[in-house]
Amino acid sequence: MAGRRLYGLMAEFDTPEALLYAARAAREEGYRKFDAYSPFGIEGLAEAVGFPKTRLPVLVFFGGLFGCCGGFFMQWWANVIGYPLNIGGKPYDSWPAFIPITFELTILCAALTTVIGMIALNGLPAPYHPAFNVPRFALASRDHFFLLIEAEDPKFDPKETQEFLEALHAQEVSEVEA
Amino acid sequence: MEPVEPGKNAAVAEPVLAPGHSFGSVTDQISAIVLTRGTGKKWMGGFAVAIALLLMLNFAITVLFAKGVGIWGINIPVGWGFAIVNFVWWIGIGHAGTLISAFLLLMRQQWRSSVNRFAEAMTIFAVACAGMFPLLHMGRPWLFYWLFPYPDTMTLWPQFRSPLVWDVFAVSTYATVSILFWFVGLIPDLATLRDRATTKIKQVVYGILSMGWRGSAKHWKRYETASLLLAGLATPLVVSVHTVVSFDFTIAIEPGWHSTIFPPYFVAGAIYSGFAMVLCLAIPLRKYYGLEDFVTLRHMDTMAKIMLATGWIVAYSYIMETFMAFYSGNPFDRYMIMNRMFGPYATVYWILIAANLVIPQLLWIKKMRRNMLTLFLLSLCVQTGMWLERFVIIITSLSRDFVPSSWGMYYPTRWDWMTFLGSIGLFFTLFYLFIRFLPMISIHEMRELVHKTEEEPAA
Amino acid sequence: MNDSPATVLSRIQQRSLGIGIVVSAICAWGAYVHWTRFLQAYLVAFFFWLNISLGCFAILMLQHMIKGRWGLVIRRSLEAGASTLPLMVLFFIPLLAGHARLYPPPPTTGFKAVYLNWPFFLGRAVFYFAVWVLMAWLLNKWSDDQDRTGDPVFQARLTRLSGPGLIIFGLTITFAAVDWVMSLETGFFSTIYGMIFMVAAALAAMAFITVMAMILARYKPLSEVATAERFHNYGNLLLVFVLLWAYLSFSQFLIIWAGNLQDEIPWYVSRAYGGWGVIALFLVLFHFAIPFVLLLNRPITKSSRALAGVAIALFIMGWVDLYWIIEPAFRPQGPQLSWMDIATPFGLGGLWMAVFLQKLRKRPLLPLHDPRFEEVLEYD
Repeated sequence: MAGRRLYGLMAEFDTPEALLYAARAAREEGYRKFDAYSPFGIEGLAEAVGFPKTRLPVLVFFGGLFGCCGGFFMQWWANVIGYPLNIGGKPYDSWPAFIPITFELTILCAALTTVIGMIALNGLPAPYHPAFNVPRFALASRDHFFLLIEAEDPKFDPKETQEFLEALHAQEVSEVEA
Repeated sequence: MEPVEPGKNAAVAEPVLAPGHSFGSVTDQISAIVLTRGTGKKWMGGFAVAIALLLMLNFAITVLFAKGVGIWGINIPVGWGFAIVNFVWWIGIGHAGTLISAFLLLMRQQWRSSVNRFAEAMTIFAVACAGMFPLLHMGRPWLFYWLFPYPDTMTLWPQFRSPLVWDVFAVSTYATVSILFWFVGLIPDLATLRDRATTKIKQVVYGILSMGWRGSAKHWKRYETASLLLAGLATPLVVSVHTVVSFDFTIAIEPGWHSTIFPPYFVAGAIYSGFAMVLCLAIPLRKYYGLEDFVTLRHMDTMAKIMLATGWIVAYSYIMETFMAFYSGNPFDRYMIMNRMFGPYATVYWILIAANLVIPQLLWIKKMRRNMLTLFLLSLCVQTGMWLERFVIIITSLSRDFVPSSWGMYYPTRWDWMTFLGSIGLFFTLFYLFIRFLPMISIHEMRELVHKTEEEPAA
Repeated sequence: MNDSPATVLSRIQQRSLGIGIVVSAICAWGAYVHWTRFLQAYLVAFFFWLNISLGCFAILMLQHMIKGRWGLVIRRSLEAGASTLPLMVLFFIPLLAGHARLYPPPPTTGFKAVYLNWPFFLGRAVFYFAVWVLMAWLLNKWSDDQDRTGDPVFQARLTRLSGPGLIIFGLTITFAAVDWVMSLETGFFSTIYGMIFMVAAALAAMAFITVMAMILARYKPLSEVATAERFHNYGNLLLVFVLLWAYLSFSQFLIIWAGNLQDEIPWYVSRAYGGWGVIALFLVLFHFAIPFVLLLNRPITKSSRALAGVAIALFIMGWVDLYWIIEPAFRPQGPQLSWMDIATPFGLGGLWMAVFLQKLRKRPLLPLHDPRFEEVLEYD
């Protein structure tokens, strides 16, 4: 650890229940800057680390709305203003015929917003993250569960936090280099 | 289609995951196929056959580009030959994958977890095969971008009243959303592969693809929200895609094409052939890779039942088409049906009826659904039937429409056959690469399944 | 809230019966005065309640097939709804009596001359009702047997009947819709027609059942199992049916609009302009757009009260939908509402409700030997 800044302390747990318990305990203890890592999504864990709701659905709604209005306008403009053409005696503004593409573009824009929004809000791609400095962290994508309290947390104290984490029956508590 | 229910009733509670698995064991068993088992001989053999077919496709396409679509059997009046038959067939096959991954997620059917990954892969590869055909059929495929609305020098715009333009938007949206959905599902598994890979090159490649996923609780929350949203978007999308494909026919006033039942009928037919394809892929896969614990008999049985149900929607549509042809009192509609049944392509029609309607009724019998050999053969039978169905719809209507003087026969040439069989080679080449380099079962969802099974009290 | 469901149900039953008898008597007078107009109004009312009965019948079989937990709470209501089918036979008699007045005479040559002639028409009607009544009876009988004995063999039988039963339902309701509604306009035909009727029936029945579940969930024993999660399921089912209805209806419209053929397009020409056009717009808004947006909201589908509000609206719109499909055949130039249009659904509905509640009251509100029963109690 010599010379490197401390990013935080990481506790390792065996089961999702233990992690959930630890995250709730950390929150009750007053920690705010911490995160939990698990090999699959655990119900209630995000709430436990203080992240009850994501803005994603709102973004997606506006993405879809943009696709819907934009899609219809594009067709209406192209066939009524841009290049009006008499096809089979149908009116230029054949709105029933514009519905399928309007629908497709609604879905397309909403889906793109969903994926790009999810990745961007998650701060990915993230080529580097201190958590990966702990060798055992590779098991976070297999069968182990981790709780990481950051050194920046006002309540963080290397010694006290270590004791706190150990009291939660963590399998192992390790220091994370920045 | 029953959800996994814990419970006292042994008949209901057949497992979707064999007992005794842990988070570690599912991770190891599935990732080992990609990381440590290496390239098997059987894999090499199958891949070689697929590559050979793909080469044949390349050859056929090269000749096509050199000489033009005249090498195919299409003519006037039958301007839509094998190319459109294959297009509709392939895109229909894709539909089951999206339904498994999206609709069943919304319905919270847990059994989907073990089949959705490769079903989605199947979707993407099937859409790739499908998308190829209209392009090849255009004659000048290098001008395909004319279909898109873009400000060109002559200020021309696409004619949005044409269902063929709707098709461009529907299929490209479908391809995009399917790839997005698949990729989002893969991210946590790619991270698993990154963490477990032993060689530098694998670590780097899987590392880049997983984008630094670390399983943070906040990330999972957004991730799961995104999955649900995508599922909610993909379900109506998949219905709309084959609906738009059906509009390619119904918007025309050709007898046998202009029929209002086509949208739901095409969607049901697509799911029918799609589930047949999923079964055709799943049966050998689970055997050769020893995945019987994850893809259980319960899965096979459920998918067979879905096939039976969608097959009946297709049957219903045949009945309605035939009935309305007579009820309408329209002489052209009536002739179209008689021509299908007793005209020059009658043999094809009756094989289609046998393969699509009669033989699959064996699926009512539980033994047939649970015997992997019969189920495999029945799935092949359905796929053949659905291919012939599109053939009958396209060819019989075009070859004999309103005016007898403009009638003509259609015969496929060897180039048609080579392109069709070659597209199967393209599909399997992609599929072989997929099972070699990516986890074919969603690992993180299997871990979740283990977790849920543990939570519930034992039967 | 101290009432038991039995007393509440019997109170509703008595009122329904009262309304039914009084309004039916008034309608009978209307029939005497203006027979043709009565028949036209009556056809809509008949189909409205037939849709509820048949929809219950279909959803009942669907939940036997899928075995989802959502089916448990509403199973009794669905069974009671299906068991009203014999009553529909009775309700059909005025239509038979007025058949010649109501339907245009079939052409003298061709397929329709054979298909729509009176004996064949009558024979088919007898067949549809026979099949429906028989299957609904079996579904109820085996359910009673299951209640009494607890033998799992009855659940297996119910499931086994439901698969073929749904196919038979689909075919019979289609041909019934062709015989009794499509044939009002001799030139018109559409292959998707039967599917629209199937979905409309399922939607109307699901709306009705959701309201029933809301009423029953206030009292024991259903209050223990009818959780917010259950109502969320019903909201989702309603959403699926609303979307299917819109999808099928729009598909039919787009195809016929684009084809613009003289056989088909008059059907929409009369229905899309003038007064009927206003009703069409009304349908787009209140049978699709607004319920769709409301049903997407979790807070709404999770509250039984708000959901019941949406369901009541959909239930009423079911009648508007049928009115828009059937009535323009008689008055293509525009709607002319008669008092009988409003009265006949209440007359039939009062009697229908009385029979429905009679059946519902006779049995425990929860099927105790349903394999889902214990699970639902334990895990929700």
